[in-house]
Amino acid sequence: MSPVQHCGFELGQGLSRDRRYRKGPSGGPTVHTMTDTLSFNQTLRAIAEFIEVAIHTILYVRQIYPPDLFVRRKKYDTPVYQSRHPALNEYISGAVKAVTDELVLGNVDKVVVVIKDKDHLALERFIFSVKNMIQVQSYDKDTSVQDAMTPATLSQYFRSFLIKLTMIESQLGLLEQHEDNSFAIVMELNDDKVPSVGQDKNPPPWVPADQQHTTSGASEDSQLHLLRAVDTGIISLSLAVQESGKKFQKFVSPDPKEKGKEKT
Amino acid sequence: MEHTNNASNKQLINSEAKAKAKRSRSPSESPEDRGQPSKTTLHRLNGLENDTEIYGASHFGEWGEYMQRKRAKLQIQNTSLEGPSDAKSDIFRGLAIYINGWTRPSVQELRKLIVTHGGVFQPYLDKKSLVTHIITCSLTPAKIREFKHMKVVRPEWLVESVDAGTLLPWTDYIFYPGGRAEASQGHPVGQTTLKPVSKSTPPPSPQVQVNRSESQSPASRSRSPSRPLYTTDPSTYEDAVRVPGYAMGQSNEMAERVMADPQWRAAHTSIAPDFIEGFYKNSRLHHLSMWKAELRSLVMEAQERAEREAFGNTQDRDGPVVQEKAGAQSTSTTDVSMGGVEFTLRSPTKNKGKCKAETNERVFMHCDFDCFFVSAGLTTRPHLRGKPVVVCHSQGNQGGASSTSEIASSGYEARSFGIKNGMSLRQAKQLCPSVVTIPYEFERYRDLSSQFYTILMRYADDLEAVSVDEALVDVSHGVASRRAAAPFSVNDYALSLAETIREEVKATTGCDVSIGIAENIQLARIATRMAKPAGLFHLRRDDVQKALEPLDIDDLHGFGYSTREKAKEKLGTANVGELAKKSKGQLCEALGKGTGETLYKAIRGIDDRKLESDKPRRSVSCDINYGVRFENNEQTETFIYRMAEEVARRMSDISVRGRSLTLKIMKRDPSAPKEAPKFLGHGICETFNKQTPLSSIHGQATNDSKDIGEHAWKLLKSFNFDPRELRGVGIQIQKLEKEGMAENSAQARLPFQPAFRAKTPDKAELVQVASGPPQIVVQPPSQEEILQRADVTAGVEEAPTHDIPSFSQVDKEVFDALPEDIREELENEYKRRSKSPTLNVPPPVPAERRPRIVVKGTSTDVKRITRQLAPRSKTTISPRKSTLFAKRVTRVGPSSVRVAEDELQELGIDPEVFAALPVDVQREQLITARHLKNGGALAEPKVLKYAKRKTRVYPKKPPPLASHPQHPFLKQQGPKKGDKLYFTRTDDVQRVIEAWVENFKEDPPNQKDVEYFSKFLVQSAESSDTGMEKTVAAMRWWLVLLRRHWEFYEHHDLLETEPVTQRMTSEKIGRAWWTAFREVKLKVDAIATKRFGGTLCLK
Repeated sequence: MSPVQHCGFELGQGLSRDRRYRKGPSGGPTVHTMTDTLSFNQTLRAIAEFIEVAIHTILYVRQIYPPDLFVRRKKYDTPVYQSRHPALNEYISGAVKAVTDELVLGNVDKVVVVIKDKDHLALERFIFSVKNMIQVQSYDKDTSVQDAMTPATLSQYFRSFLIKLTMIESQLGLLEQHEDNSFAIVMELNDDKVPSVGQDKNPPPWVPADQQHTTSGASEDSQLHLLRAVDTGIISLSLAVQESGKKFQKFVSPDPKEKGKEKT
Repeated sequence: MEHTNNASNKQLINSEAKAKAKRSRSPSESPEDRGQPSKTTLHRLNGLENDTEIYGASHFGEWGEYMQRKRAKLQIQNTSLEGPSDAKSDIFRGLAIYINGWTRPSVQELRKLIVTHGGVFQPYLDKKSLVTHIITCSLTPAKIREFKHMKVVRPEWLVESVDAGTLLPWTDYIFYPGGRAEASQGHPVGQTTLKPVSKSTPPPSPQVQVNRSESQSPASRSRSPSRPLYTTDPSTYEDAVRVPGYAMGQSNEMAERVMADPQWRAAHTSIAPDFIEGFYKNSRLHHLSMWKAELRSLVMEAQERAEREAFGNTQDRDGPVVQEKAGAQSTSTTDVSMGGVEFTLRSPTKNKGKCKAETNERVFMHCDFDCFFVSAGLTTRPHLRGKPVVVCHSQGNQGGASSTSEIASSGYEARSFGIKNGMSLRQAKQLCPSVVTIPYEFERYRDLSSQFYTILMRYADDLEAVSVDEALVDVSHGVASRRAAAPFSVNDYALSLAETIREEVKATTGCDVSIGIAENIQLARIATRMAKPAGLFHLRRDDVQKALEPLDIDDLHGFGYSTREKAKEKLGTANVGELAKKSKGQLCEALGKGTGETLYKAIRGIDDRKLESDKPRRSVSCDINYGVRFENNEQTETFIYRMAEEVARRMSDISVRGRSLTLKIMKRDPSAPKEAPKFLGHGICETFNKQTPLSSIHGQATNDSKDIGEHAWKLLKSFNFDPRELRGVGIQIQKLEKEGMAENSAQARLPFQPAFRAKTPDKAELVQVASGPPQIVVQPPSQEEILQRADVTAGVEEAPTHDIPSFSQVDKEVFDALPEDIREELENEYKRRSKSPTLNVPPPVPAERRPRIVVKGTSTDVKRITRQLAPRSKTTISPRKSTLFAKRVTRVGPSSVRVAEDELQELGIDPEVFAALPVDVQREQLITARHLKNGGALAEPKVLKYAKRKTRVYPKKPPPLASHPQHPFLKQQGPKKGDKLYFTRTDDVQRVIEAWVENFKEDPPNQKDVEYFSKFLVQSAESSDTGMEKTVAAMRWWLVLLRRHWEFYEHHDLLETEPVTQRMTSEKIGRAWWTAFREVKLKVDAIATKRFGGTLCLK
């Protein structure tokens, strides 16, 4: 794996490359209805959008920023929280766009939202694991994929993802609130892949990540909660939360029994 | 030679002259100043080398030299001002100050202050960088903008700094542009039309304006600080406060009650179809203003005629002055207008009419009926004389004690009870229970008024119709001739003339008039006050001051409530006598320049206004603010169009057309009750005005009701008001032009989509259009041919009305000249059509209105059809494809075959039919016909070609196929032998595990079973994330089951406490289970670690 950390500074230059709305060579977008199965681009867009929504919610749920920074909105028929801070929003959407660019190529393995303490030690990792199940020719990117999931179903799955995400808070050990926790968005690529260079002159928005922020840097004693997974038939997606061993060392585990068990 | 030098010489002379002028104006002029300044001064100043540099001749082509020198000279002057003797202080050192406009103290004083205290006075601002501060008392908005980055300070800064002996911080004296000075300016203009309300005119209710002169006799005027206002329906809070007994926040309950009844509403409010006619039939104000306009134009006509006739034969002077047109009387019973009356000016001599008499002594008379409506009513009701009589809509006991009907006129008897015009009947009844009401009699008023004017005309040199019952007359000549007739009489000739007029009017109409006589209009009006009731008064020059002194400003004509309030606030008094002591400057400062000046003169009895007898009409309008209650936009629109008809009728009555339209809207003030205190009145309102240029379709001035309605409705729509909130609507047309004039001067408008423009589409129609989906024809492939045919015929039928011309018929030049976006649109459209040459997809009917939808609909349509026509592959495949497509496009490009009409006829083909055919059929027909004509055989290479193109088939690629991860399954023995059960779903797996655990409660788990489950769980976890999810769920359930049975042993290490006995204790079973669980967990964890790192949490 080649872990690459996202760097907020360079994001601004990468923003212009928005592939999400690129049209197919036919010129006109294919009209899909909710009963058609997903096309590759639809799936891509849906997943990217979900990741963006989820990141906002993660930041709210884990209280990285004060709660009043967020507004409650409705997405996928469930309440979600969206940041109101323009710079933060820009960082997130920029990151998601950059991820999407890689996702098109099928290089992405995971997208990780790392919650760090003030010493930049990873406390929690919210892992979006993706896997491109099929290779689609560029001209078929907007064609409905046979036997794939429908957009309606996918949206219901996302709803379930988000409900799980907001509920996991109760299971996760508390983060100390007074600390200067921060977060980073890390993209992990498939083996022997590096972030692609954009067509334009701008440098790629990614920089190599700190090993311990990535999942490969997760210690033995870190705990993984698998929240939800979905197979669309095109791109598979799962969301897991990993509490790092550092966190357990830092804070007293709320359930000592559990901890003892895990020692074995 | 001399000529060329001239310019610079002149300049020099000018500059010197100016410098001298400045010098001589400066108060302290030292003798040194006159001579050449010393060189030291010069050097200190601008570093100029010598005085010839400054005072010498300008050089040819030396730009800027003039100003530079001028500045230097002025600085020399300033330094001389400073003078060594009285070098007071240096507090202004380093400051360069420019003084803008009029200031107090004056520029000269300030300049002296600056200079004597070490500052630099900059007379010009052409170089802003030189100036540190700007001193001003007032700035124009443009200058405020210009100076916004500069230090703009009030003059007090300098004065007080000097007083304090030190430079005070300028920031304390920053000049803040206050309210616009113009706000205090602008005096109310005499009412020319029926205006409901406008916020700028001081008495916002027109009722008040009209009745003011009658209602307030000097004796009865109250001196309360806030003068009561008598009206039943004030429209602003300020006015409402002034109206005694006006329940501002209170809703009219009766109105609310009746408004709840939709039928009543439909019959009595603005929704009613005959509402406007009814409104105007009963509106006193409408009649008043209408009559006034008519009287004015009649007077004007009379004057014009008089002038014309002055050059013709002298007429019989005692001839009839009023000529009733035949039949006028009969029609006027229903239509109460002045139409049919014609005035003749008495003496059509050269110095009459427009060429005013040039006598040394001007005499003006202000003739005014005494409570006109009442006295008119009393002429037929002599029994009511001496009783308190008022005129209002509400009669007898109808409405009773709660009537909000407004009193239009009250007799002197009624006035003695304190009843005032504009009060509601209820208030009047409270003051005087025995008050008698009489109805309006518009016809009588009209007749009396025309008689009144007829008499006045006989004596007038010039006449201004102020209103039906009031006129200003210039009688200078009449008086002069009387004086000439009896030069030695001590009589007041003017008074005796007035007496004659008065008696004549009394005899003719049976009503009393009061006449005020004075040397100008203003004083004549004041004299009338003294004359009332039923008297005469000649205000002489000597008595003017005495007469004016006790008055208030608003007793003077042209000054209203707001001027009075302003004067009180700023000058401390509104009394004319007091104000006479103020200087003109003070008045101007307090009231604004225009008003201040007029007032200054008015106070001194000076009024140089002329009679406005020939002022042409400026506007025609129609305002309704009573009973305006709408429920929806349709009603509003209908009403607006009806009002437009009314306006149009009025305009054509006086044969004018307008170029500008103002829409006045009164909207219920959000804080006001839904139903105004006055029954169906407008209540307190917010007023909005919007103006728009008005023109017919041909770009000319118009008086067409449709045009007016359309413009007005568009304006109203642009406000986007809730129709239920509207309380008053006014349409006013300005920039009037005489009909028949300027017909051809206007630039005609291009008739773009005239069908659409001519009429605002009906709401219902629009809705229908909007809801009607675009006609999209989706064809199943099997029916392709048939439907295409059908489409072609449909297209042929539709083509002449809705289709754009075929590409070949488009004028290339015109096409190229089109704006790019339109051209592109057309090109796309043609491309689209040529792509599907055989099917002429008919654009849906509302194509013009909803082009977007149509194009979208048909474009997808076309795409689908082309795909079916040439089902080689998806059109989206490769860019190469599009070039191929393009080729086809060019080949099939023209949508009709080019052929001369003559040839077609020769071939025996009807050109019209031919044109309607689809291209390929055209071609076919043409070829066949040509061949038949030539008698040759029928070759059909083209047809073959066509067929060939059709048969070319591309294999269509299958759509991508989804790939789902293979989920491992849990295989089990079915209930029957040989049956296999496959479990993949999470809950199934959980059930199997549960069965397993339940079966082995008494025994440790079988190693084989453990492996069997372990294999499944590991495989599942490895397969995909969803598989992992399943594994986690299964493990979790296993954990729950284990805890349920053997929780106690969960954390006991099996190896440490290896039991010696072989007995199957529950402890041993439990430990065995936990061991198995951990074994599996480890394996699964290994996978999780590989995938995510760390171990799985099964909490």
